[in-house]
Amino acid sequence: MKLTEDKIRELSIQAISELGPTASPDAVKKLVEEKIRSSAAFPGGEVNVSSGRVILTSFGLNTTGIVSSISAALSEAQCDILDISQKIMQEFFTMIMMIDITNSPKDIKDLQEIMKSIAENLKVKIYLQHEDVFRFMHRI
Amino acid sequence: MPYEFDEILETIKMTEIEHFDIRTVTMGISLRDCADRNISITTQKIYEKILRYAGNHVKNAQEIERRYGISIANKRVSVTPISIIGDAFGQDEFLKIAETLDKVATEIGIDYIAGYSALVQKGFTKGELELIKSIPNALSQTQKVCSSVNVASTKAGINMDAVNLMSNIIKETAEKTKERDSVGCAKLVVFCNAVEDNPFVAGAFHGISEPEVTLNVGISGPGVVLDAIKNAGGIDFQKLSELIKKTMFKITRAGELIGRKVAEKNNVPFGIVDISLAPTPAEGDSIADILIAMGVEDVGAPGTTAALAMLNDAVKKAGLMASSSVGGMSGAFIPVSEDAGMIRAVEKGHLSLEKLEAMTAVCSVGLDMVAVPGNTSAETLAGIMADEFAIGMINDKTTAVRIIPAVGKSVGDYVDYGGLLGRAPIMPVRELSSKAFVLRGGKIPAPIRSLTN
Repeated sequence: MKLTEDKIRELSIQAISELGPTASPDAVKKLVEEKIRSSAAFPGGEVNVSSGRVILTSFGLNTTGIVSSISAALSEAQCDILDISQKIMQEFFTMIMMIDITNSPKDIKDLQEIMKSIAENLKVKIYLQHEDVFRFMHRI
Repeated sequence: MPYEFDEILETIKMTEIEHFDIRTVTMGISLRDCADRNISITTQKIYEKILRYAGNHVKNAQEIERRYGISIANKRVSVTPISIIGDAFGQDEFLKIAETLDKVATEIGIDYIAGYSALVQKGFTKGELELIKSIPNALSQTQKVCSSVNVASTKAGINMDAVNLMSNIIKETAEKTKERDSVGCAKLVVFCNAVEDNPFVAGAFHGISEPEVTLNVGISGPGVVLDAIKNAGGIDFQKLSELIKKTMFKITRAGELIGRKVAEKNNVPFGIVDISLAPTPAEGDSIADILIAMGVEDVGAPGTTAALAMLNDAVKKAGLMASSSVGGMSGAFIPVSEDAGMIRAVEKGHLSLEKLEAMTAVCSVGLDMVAVPGNTSAETLAGIMADEFAIGMINDKTTAVRIIPAVGKSVGDYVDYGGLLGRAPIMPVRELSSKAFVLRGGKIPAPIRSLTN
């Protein structure tokens, strides 16, 4: 999501009223920056993401509950699942999800940490990579 | 799904199994505005400037690594050749600059800082001579500083006085770092036709025609090419070339993406992608293994040079299509100590120094990370360098020599540095003398090829 001028103005007015008499240009600037960084509307703060789409790949021996554990964690993190594709080859489970993390308060780093613990519990591998790397490698 | 199942799995396989990584993101920083007649002001300016531009280089690169799931093996900085900014200084002052570079490199957490360099293909200035003389001390007293000296070019010919001087400097550096397998020599490159935007150490420097600051990226990925060739079986040469190109295209694209993003994050302009295949000592991440997969029994067998030429050419063609900012060395590297397959070939006696020299005529970058007996004379080293630079000068290409006359070691022994520098068996050197030739002095004139206007 783009940060519009209106949004910045709104945040500045909020900051001035919160700061009250202590409001100086520097203090307002600092507070607005903090708000932008923590704002759910602008995930990842200063991270400049060209799009919020992330590819999640999971594979390992098939057990019950892989899809449900991963999607539950994603929904808790307010990530949007755009597409999902899954295959079982012999005992081997492979799943690829395209997720949108634009509206998530978490950034890709946080999600990687969350998925790491899920991967350990389920004894599968889970990778999260920004979509751009696939676009660059496989699309001219 | 906008991407096929197989495409996504292919990328994961490259990064997780086939050792595909970015070898280096190197920030080039101009230090030309740091020159001052007072050495403490000069070092202070250098320290502050590097800190200002590259202070967050490592942190930013790590963030990009995580976002794209592609690891970046090294984060480096290259600077203006130090001889240019300190031309009025003597050896002691140059040493202080080396210490400053080492200090700031440690503080910002980068792996190497390169550019303790001089360009003397046509002759020395006073400052350049002083810098070169300070190299053995600089490399033995610092950890992360890398040095290079350009002694020849197609336009200027070979400065044999510089070659002779450098062979003595290499010997002295080996002696000064003898208790660590003469590691100083692994951080010292002698060049013909050095390039100004090379991101690879030890030969990197920020050339004088480069902008204030820039970010260059060097890619790796022999493991990916190796697997592709192995899986393809006995296809003919055109098909093989096509296969290598397709693979390298993807790798280069990923390299360009990573480079641009790291540059963006550091808020500096993006420079070039060096489309080199750089091996690491890890098993399977080897140029030698690619040549074997192409069909030669081992590196050194007849056909090796042709195989390497074809590999190198396909790498370049794919890279050119994949990126519009190709530069640096751009070719396959064949460093002996950093490639498990090359080490094996030397151990078995399959690969000689002479065959290695022939191979360098068709790829970048030269006799790289080659360990020779400690008693090899300076004149013999000069002869080896002169041969290598003749190849570079005549063919209008970059060639380099990074040779380690390991003090106290002889054929059968090893030098072992660990990490990316790896370990190298000592290679035998011909005992015929080159003394009367190299000590004539003066310059080998520029070849007819230099007159292109």
